Amino acid sequence: MDFPWDDLALTFSHTSMFPFFDFAHYLVSVMAVKSQPGAVALAWKNPISSWFTAMLHCFGGGILSCLLLAEPPLKFLANNTNILLASSIWYITFFCPHDLVSQGYSHLPVQLLASGMKEVTRTWKIVGGVTHANSYYKNGLIVMIAIGWARGAGGAIVTNFERLVKGDWKPEGDEWLKMSYPSKVTLLGSIIFTFQHTQHLAISRHNLMFLYTIFIVAIKITMMTTQTSMTFAPFEDTLCRILFGWQPQFSSSEKKSEAKSPSSGTGSLASKPSDVASDNVKKKHTKKNE
Amino acid sequence: MELLSALSLGELALSFSRVPLFPVFDLSYFIVSILYLKYEPGAVELSRRHPMASWLCAMLHCFGSYILADLLLGEPLIDYFSNNSSILLASAVWYLIFFCPLDLFYKCVCFLPVKLIFVAMKEVVRVRKIAVGIHHAHHHYHHGWFVMIATGWVKGSGVALMSNFEQLLRGVWKPETNEILHMSFPTKASLYGAILFTLQQTRWLPVSKATLIFIFTMFMVSCKVFLTATHSHSSPFDALEGYICPVLFGAACGADHHQDNHGGSHGSGGPGPQHSAMPAKSKEELSEGSRKKKTKKAD
Repeated sequence: MDFPWDDLALTFSHTSMFPFFDFAHYLVSVMAVKSQPGAVALAWKNPISSWFTAMLHCFGGGILSCLLLAEPPLKFLANNTNILLASSIWYITFFCPHDLVSQGYSHLPVQLLASGMKEVTRTWKIVGGVTHANSYYKNGLIVMIAIGWARGAGGAIVTNFERLVKGDWKPEGDEWLKMSYPSKVTLLGSIIFTFQHTQHLAISRHNLMFLYTIFIVAIKITMMTTQTSMTFAPFEDTLCRILFGWQPQFSSSEKKSEAKSPSSGTGSLASKPSDVASDNVKKKHTKKNE
Repeated sequence: MELLSALSLGELALSFSRVPLFPVFDLSYFIVSILYLKYEPGAVELSRRHPMASWLCAMLHCFGSYILADLLLGEPLIDYFSNNSSILLASAVWYLIFFCPLDLFYKCVCFLPVKLIFVAMKEVVRVRKIAVGIHHAHHHYHHGWFVMIATGWVKGSGVALMSNFEQLLRGVWKPETNEILHMSFPTKASLYGAILFTLQQTRWLPVSKATLIFIFTMFMVSCKVFLTATHSHSSPFDALEGYICPVLFGAACGADHHQDNHGGSHGSGGPGPQHSAMPAKSKEELSEGSRKKKTKKAD
């Protein structure tokens, strides 16, 4: 396939992540840490613990993929420049006089820019994970998908586990199991890139990276500007009905209690407020998980 | 005549230990494992709400032993997932058990004679896994007896040892129940089997590996089939442990087993200092007993 933007995509795919995009990723991650209740107090009381949490948020995906592939989980510490960058961001975010960084970050354009750039790093991570797994397992499709997913979205799992161990969070049924939007989109991307890597998808890699990045950045920015949460609910609903919905006694009750929003959202306007409210709740969960 | 019978037994054991596991025995292993997952409270509802989490749980039930052994030996945790055909087979079994129209597949599999066959075949896989695990650990650590025992044990008991983690995936977090505290029969049997196979591997037990596999498989199959057929949770080791525990660990351990019947009367007969210590102890034992009951319910 030949695209008019071929050259652009090629240059784009050679962009280095290091100074700017990584910076945005660390900034967004550390701000997520800071938005947790009690994080600031913890940073004053126990800086090391807070620093460690911040590092887990920044490098969680890499740690999970290292665990899965039996590489040292502390490998991320060997990358001195990245650690220094992330640590300095942690430091200025938490201890800057007059909280300047947080105030600057609270402007919407800054947030949009940072989040958009963070999504770009996600693409790079997925591609890196898939390629890395392929160097271990030539035909392991599932392994490639899993490692790509772990690199891109595994941070949420690592940080949740850390909170579980610290004891300030308990899995209350759904919260742990509900895949957040980033996890889903990363899983989708991981599957696409794996099929591209095994030549099942007739598209060159830089084009795919370009398209996928534009897709996730656009969705992220739309989500942030319109304050809604984009979900795959309609697709999932149909897919679930095809695959898993053969048993009426379960699916009917499940549809009523759980997946109220997608079915009612298309039809009636009366249930719109509740729909939006549930979306907001969902979004909060997502943010917490990120 | 004796020589002939011994020869034929040896040959039988040898050919038995060379039967390939992959399609049939592995299939029954997956079926029984996922069947146990479906028995867990809330598993069916989970599969309707979060198919992905349910699938992951099913994979843990099928491949937990490999994952745990890989973790212990420092190999990639995800190693077994490169085995595409096994994963596909297990996924198909998971899909059929949870989502088959009218629950047909589940009803067929649950029919007791069919289930007994599958259970028996699962035990064959278990014993073979123990043997392979010990061989593998021996390859890494030639004199590491405990490494061998641990690897074999983990390979044999599978997901039971990581049940806390598996429950966490299902949204249940109960750190107070875990398998090491209340070992079930398969876990104990795997431990004893691992010890036997380690002794054989280090040449302390003068039998060939094929024979040991054959004998231990027969033992496991008969025990497990009997237990499944009678729906009992007791284990054949109970009687043996009742004798050995008081000798090795003193009276406290022995009292733990019979505490339901005469715990109170036991305390009243003792001398002064023991008398004061007894009520606290019996309370602790009572809570232990209730916890045990809870675990059984969870099983």
